[in-house]
Amino acid sequence: MHFYGLPASTLLTIAAIGAAAIVSLYVLKLRRRPVPVPFVRIWQRILREKEATSLFSQLKRILSLLVQLALLALLVLALGDPRGFASNKSRNVVVLIDGSASMKAVDVASALNPSYARIDAAKDEVKKLVRGLGGSDRMLIAQMDAAVTPLSTLTGEVADLDQAVALVRATDSRADFPRALRFASDVLLGLSSPEIVIVSDGNLGEPRDAAGAVHLGQVAISFVPIGKGGRNVAITEFSVRRYPLDRDRYEVMLELYNASKQAEEIELDLLGDGNLVDVTKLKLNPGERLPRFYPNLSGARRTLEATIKPANGGRDDLPADDHAYALLPDQRRIRVLCVTAGNTYLEASLLLTTYLDVTYVAPSEYPVKGQTFDVTIFDDVTPPVADGSGSVLYLDPRGESSPVKVDAATLVNVGFDTLDKKSPFLRWTAIDDVYVGRAHRLVPEPGDKVVGASEKGALLVTGRRAGRRFLALGFNPRDSDFVLRIAWPLFVLNVMTEFVAEDPSYLSSFRTGEVWHVAVPTLSDEVWLSAPGASSPKRVPVQDGRAVYLGLDAGFYTLEAGPRGAAVKAEFAANLADAEESAIEPVAVLTVDGKTTGSVEGFHVGVRSEWWIALLLLAVAITTVEWATYHRRITV
Amino acid sequence: MSVRDVLRRVSEPIARISRRPPPSDDDELFDDEFQRKLEYLAIVSRRVFAGRLRAERRTKKSGSGVEFADHRDYAPGDDFRSLDWNVYQRFGRLLVRLFEEEEDLSIYLVIDASSSMAFSSKRKFRYAQRLTAALAYVGLANLDRITIVATTDRIEERMPTARGKARIFKVFQFLRGLEPAGTTDLGDAMKTFVAQHKRRGLVVLLSDLYDPHGFERGINVLRYNKFEPFVLHVVDESEAGPKLTGDVRIYDCETGEERDVTVTPKVLSQFRSSYQSYLSEIRKFCTERQVPYVPAEVNIPFDDLVLRVLRRGGFLT
Repeated sequence: MHFYGLPASTLLTIAAIGAAAIVSLYVLKLRRRPVPVPFVRIWQRILREKEATSLFSQLKRILSLLVQLALLALLVLALGDPRGFASNKSRNVVVLIDGSASMKAVDVASALNPSYARIDAAKDEVKKLVRGLGGSDRMLIAQMDAAVTPLSTLTGEVADLDQAVALVRATDSRADFPRALRFASDVLLGLSSPEIVIVSDGNLGEPRDAAGAVHLGQVAISFVPIGKGGRNVAITEFSVRRYPLDRDRYEVMLELYNASKQAEEIELDLLGDGNLVDVTKLKLNPGERLPRFYPNLSGARRTLEATIKPANGGRDDLPADDHAYALLPDQRRIRVLCVTAGNTYLEASLLLTTYLDVTYVAPSEYPVKGQTFDVTIFDDVTPPVADGSGSVLYLDPRGESSPVKVDAATLVNVGFDTLDKKSPFLRWTAIDDVYVGRAHRLVPEPGDKVVGASEKGALLVTGRRAGRRFLALGFNPRDSDFVLRIAWPLFVLNVMTEFVAEDPSYLSSFRTGEVWHVAVPTLSDEVWLSAPGASSPKRVPVQDGRAVYLGLDAGFYTLEAGPRGAAVKAEFAANLADAEESAIEPVAVLTVDGKTTGSVEGFHVGVRSEWWIALLLLAVAITTVEWATYHRRITV
Repeated sequence: MSVRDVLRRVSEPIARISRRPPPSDDDELFDDEFQRKLEYLAIVSRRVFAGRLRAERRTKKSGSGVEFADHRDYAPGDDFRSLDWNVYQRFGRLLVRLFEEEEDLSIYLVIDASSSMAFSSKRKFRYAQRLTAALAYVGLANLDRITIVATTDRIEERMPTARGKARIFKVFQFLRGLEPAGTTDLGDAMKTFVAQHKRRGLVVLLSDLYDPHGFERGINVLRYNKFEPFVLHVVDESEAGPKLTGDVRIYDCETGEERDVTVTPKVLSQFRSSYQSYLSEIRKFCTERQVPYVPAEVNIPFDDLVLRVLRRGGFLT
């Protein structure tokens, strides 16, 4: 026999305290209450008869004490929740509840409960299974979405299992079926009568992953199908980007997918910052994927949303994929401080974009008090970097304040013999044939990265100093034909956008069900993420300057980096964007490891036989008998 | 007016009322209503005994009365004036004429002042006090000699013999001064009583008869000493059904004797039977010995009971 309730030490403590209390009360009960009577001789007449039965009375008193102690023992045992050893016939069941996006389909809803979704039906089915567990059966409930989340232990406790069922929710991600099966088979390894029950609409894909097909061995598998409809049109792709040279305008690409068996007419709405930007009516044939491209759009500064709905009103069976989200890159003007004695080429390149707010100062006027900048350009000067200077671009640095050591020897007639063409500083540029008349070799420190170098030494080095990013060019551009190239203004623009993390390859949205690596706007490791619909932000780990998070819900996210109160915020969007998940036609039969799953069997409501219930009932029965006999003065 | 003022106005009269001393039990014992009832009883008693001798009782003693009773032989020292000369002329014998002496009836009211009389808020004792006062008034009104004695296991208090209605306040004062305490022993107490009172008469015994030594002894002592006992058995019916339950230790309020008992409905029923049996024993004892016996249930108005006593006879005849 095992005790699944309170631990034995606690039970013994309760038993000891309870027994002491009962014995104390019993002793108190034996201490009779003194009562005066006017004439005791009248009592003596009847007491002579009673004395003959005093031995029986004493026995009844002891019996009363024993009954009370027996009651205590029964209650303590009930608290211990004793169970018999699991028999060979006891089952061990892992229930995998599909929490993928398709389970949000409301094809099972009724007029009375229009929001009743497949996930609710699945939870109801699992509750029936829980009620049908045998007394020695054990069950584990796990949610299966992009990850596998066990929501309970392998237990026979109905309350725990009910609590686990209540925690199940559908996400905006695809179910990782093979991973869930491997988890379930690992749980059931070595246990008697192992069984996996899959509660799903069946849109789970093949049970195969990088390790190959999943083999379940002797584990029985059952399937509880959920769902009955399949009418659905989805937004399967949604992306937006600004034009690099006209940041007021942007273009949108999206893809629509009709997963229904019939043609669907839909209305597509585009919303910028919550305002309607475009409305289009489209017709999609069964199974058709329809890409749409919207160039030269304007009117949105930050958020962009796309929604679809049937043209004739109403809704399809899966509203979750009828809404897509995207964020436009931040349009903030970059504050640039240019410390120069005068450089026409530099000034000209900074004039090419209107998103730069440039301040020119002479070297003697640096630092500029009371102002902060995103980027500072030191042109042919290398002063100590003051606070508020932001990231720094050095043009021909020298001296003690240079971030890298500069070789005193002058290199003559050199060029870029090696270039890191993947570096964002050199995006869309071609500088491998740039002629440099005079240059100085830069000596990078460990952790620095050489972006460009001649065969005589590094000429373009990037890195961090005191948390501040820098890029050092080992020559004065005016001593080369770099400033005469198209690449020069592109190089300067790349430096600006890279330093303020405005990447043209900015992801307008992430895809749910994947692990996201979101750029953190500061160097802080304290990052909090607010998911759509979440009541409070959740702290997420940071790796290599990026927050790592498994995204399960579509919508807009807010990321806060840094200590509370002084946190820097960033936003991003996430979409389901999964055509397979949008195909919600339920599957009646699943095939796993070559076996066709059957329906669940052997779960019958009312077959549980937990001893604590019997113990409690026995205690109640004894109490009732004691009460009745006491009030009839039988056991008094 | 503030709430505080209102509260003060309401609370002050209540406080004044609560500060008044509670009426004394003794004050209520013989209040005006009680005295009016006594007067009524005195009138009724005259009506009941109309045609009989009032305030007089003839005895077999020779005395100074006017009713001839008998003759006896002359003995030296007899008053010559009582010699019956006619008999001497006819028979030549000196005989003295005896007359029935008219004497007052001596009524002794013996009130039990033991602790058991104080049981249950002194109901029995207060009832006995009122009965004593009423009977004393009736007796005083009939010009009888009234003596009141309070007993426990001895004579505790004694009110000197009184006569005439005017002495009723002395009776009240005496009765007010009694406080029930001590154990009951009617036998010893009556022995002392008869030793102290040579004048025979009617002895009205007001007691609950809870005598550990037996109620019979006290009555028998009176009988054997030529007193006429009249038993007024003060009974409180609530004592037949005590409100007890469960395991208790009962102790006698007089002797302190203890007994453990588990009170159940069955035990209570047996107790009621035993109590009634005890009352029956007393009644039977008195009846067999021609001792007037009247149970005085405390719930019966005392004036009704006094009339019942008067009708029962033997009190004034």
